[in-house]
Amino acid sequence: MTKVRTPGAVMSLYRLMLTTQVTKARVIGLSALGLVSVFVGFAIGHAHLVDPVRQGTRFINGFGLSLLVPVATLVFASASLGDPNEDGTLVYLWLRPVARAKIVAAAALASFTVTWPIVTIPLVICAALTGGGRTLIVGTVAAVTVSMVAYVGVFVALGLRVKRALVWGLLYIFVWEGFVATGNNTAARLAVRTYARSVLSHITGETFRVTEIASPWTWLVPALVALGALAYATRRLSRQDVT
Amino acid sequence: MTVTEPMIQVDSVSKWFGDLVAVSDVSFDVGPGVTALLGPNGAGKSTILRMLCGLTGPARGTVRVLGGDPRRDVGLTRHIGLVPQQEVTFETLTAMEFVRLAAVLHGLKNPDEAAIAALAVVEMDPADHRPTSTYSKGMRQRVKVAQAIVHRPDVIVLDEPLTGLDPRQRLHMISLFQALGAEGRCVIVSSHVLDEVERFGSRVLVMVQGRLAAEGDFHAIRELMDDRPHRIRVRSDRPRALATALLDAEAALAVRLEGIDTVLVDTDQVSRFRHSVAAAAQRSGAHLWEVAPLDDDLESVFRYLVGR
Repeated sequence: MTKVRTPGAVMSLYRLMLTTQVTKARVIGLSALGLVSVFVGFAIGHAHLVDPVRQGTRFINGFGLSLLVPVATLVFASASLGDPNEDGTLVYLWLRPVARAKIVAAAALASFTVTWPIVTIPLVICAALTGGGRTLIVGTVAAVTVSMVAYVGVFVALGLRVKRALVWGLLYIFVWEGFVATGNNTAARLAVRTYARSVLSHITGETFRVTEIASPWTWLVPALVALGALAYATRRLSRQDVT
Repeated sequence: MTVTEPMIQVDSVSKWFGDLVAVSDVSFDVGPGVTALLGPNGAGKSTILRMLCGLTGPARGTVRVLGGDPRRDVGLTRHIGLVPQQEVTFETLTAMEFVRLAAVLHGLKNPDEAAIAALAVVEMDPADHRPTSTYSKGMRQRVKVAQAIVHRPDVIVLDEPLTGLDPRQRLHMISLFQALGAEGRCVIVSSHVLDEVERFGSRVLVMVQGRLAAEGDFHAIRELMDDRPHRIRVRSDRPRALATALLDAEAALAVRLEGIDTVLVDTDQVSRFRHSVAAAAQRSGAHLWEVAPLDDDLESVFRYLVGR
């Protein structure tokens, strides 16, 4: 059987997944969470602190990288293939002459496209309001982007792999990354948050009393994690039963 | 491929989910034209259809569609159209967007034209800007058929496609399936409604409890179903005399009196019984109050076929 060329297929899938992922409830809920960071950034900026960069960096790490980025990415990325898999619409994508990798790539791209502005815009405003200056803003954008790349891959695969991916994802975020990985060096290296925090630390110069990863691993590992997870999702999509 | 080769070959296929055996050692070939897959709910029809599309693989045996393995050959999907049983579509999309998406993913050169043509076939308006989430069940069903035929596939698999359609649309769809079959496409339609299948006027595969209970021309299977032993309840003011008259007329294998006014009649000649019962009542001076088949539902028909 000859391989079928599918011009426009990825773009069509990408558009479809954007429209199916973006629901009012998700956007409003996560934007409200982002707004919290803006208010806190404003408060830090007007508190006349001695070291606003340090305070800003700590807040971006503690709230942005630990909560907003992973939760927002989980909500959208796990739904990208998880929702069609559960509601039965996946069959309309699966039973087409389109490479499974393209379906997964479209899902990941759509998740990134939706999540990045919802998370990055409020965190950048927050960073600016804290008075941390350009360094903190650049560090925030870089750390958010690096971690989101990894989270998108992991959560797209998770959405395809398990039912109730949201619950499993929250367990990963809060139990593994938020608890286990904070007390153990080895576990910390298996947490996306560690790499994001290290990127933020390298750019702002602020250090944290927890595991830090040396460059260039801070950049490479999240990308490799994303690639590995998306490869797994592709394999899974090729082999799983479709209802 | 030559015309005589079957388009679908199912060979000794079994499928189970945990302890549940959904399909057990089923074999059949299907060629061009309309083939109906008949069976009660839970008979394994949908599982078979899903295997034909590669959506799930057989635990044992092989499924070949157009000579390929639908589970592994992604390119084969170009030649398969499926109307799945589930009602759901991409709810934010209009009918046109939904069918056009299918056309794009199939790499058609002019997806707009193809989508408009497919929607016209099922009598849907391409300019309807309402999302499919607002559609009735019947309208969704028609949109699902449109997305399945937009790329003009050789094999069209339809899982209970007449569900939710009004009588006029049912007739229209049946005509459409027959026309597609007449074009040389392999159209396989599942149903649990005997009358529906009768209208297809086609070859029938009867599935019961995961097994292929019968296959062949619909009329031959219908005769087989009619010739099975039937139990009929006859209510009369003189049941004992009526029972004797029915036995004398050799219209009953056995009779049993029940209550004060009822005779339960076992017969394997339904038409002979129909012709004899009025005459028997007249001879015995009985008034007939009720003649009702007790096991004429599809389930009992299927049970009989399995037990043959």
